[in-house]
Amino acid sequence: MIDILNLILIIIGKILVVIGLICDLAASILMIRFPNFYVRLHALTVGSIGGAFVPMIGAGLIALGSTFLGNLRWFLAGGSFTTAFFTFILGGAGSHAIARATYRSKSAVMKPCYVDQLAEDKGGTEC
Amino acid sequence: MLINIENLVTTFLSLSIAVYIVSFLLYLIRILKGPTIPDMVIAVDALGYDLAAFFVILSILFKTPILIGCAIVLALWIYAIDIYVSKYLEFKELGD
Repeated sequence: MIDILNLILIIIGKILVVIGLICDLAASILMIRFPNFYVRLHALTVGSIGGAFVPMIGAGLIALGSTFLGNLRWFLAGGSFTTAFFTFILGGAGSHAIARATYRSKSAVMKPCYVDQLAEDKGGTEC
Repeated sequence: MLINIENLVTTFLSLSIAVYIVSFLLYLIRILKGPTIPDMVIAVDALGYDLAAFFVILSILFKTPILIGCAIVLALWIYAIDIYVSKYLEFKELGD
């Protein structure tokens, strides 16, 4: 019975790690392909939440199910869940902070620009 | 149990290392050639969070608990570099 439960935990963890690997590869390709900074922010959040948070949860579940690790598996699972929690909170907050500072200081050029509603609200020119 | 769990886990995690290394190299290209400072900083962000996930996977693979502590500290430092760079970009000073 316990073996079946461990196997189920490992399979769920592997599925999460595979989702994370796909997100990670997609984010790294998009970081190269996207044209400017404000579009690359999308690739950053795909890479930090989909590419780091999801495989950390999956690795924690794998560690919980791996009986060959002995008592070490509780430590590894707790550490990976803690790291996943920090990544989940701080990834979004950090990307918001850097986006706001970049927009206000105008340090990145918005080259292919189609709409800029923040500038329109302030009464400036569109784009 | 007929299935060898250790074999199953270590084979899968060893294969996932290759995908991580490919994405590290792609992020590194953006860090080296990024035209502005915020471009480089978001590439470093993504690289750092992925490196933390990579450390977690390596610690299961090598059966060592030391790398987990490195992963937690790395996630916090990446947030710190975000805040420092955004404060510098907005106010042009780092504060006291």
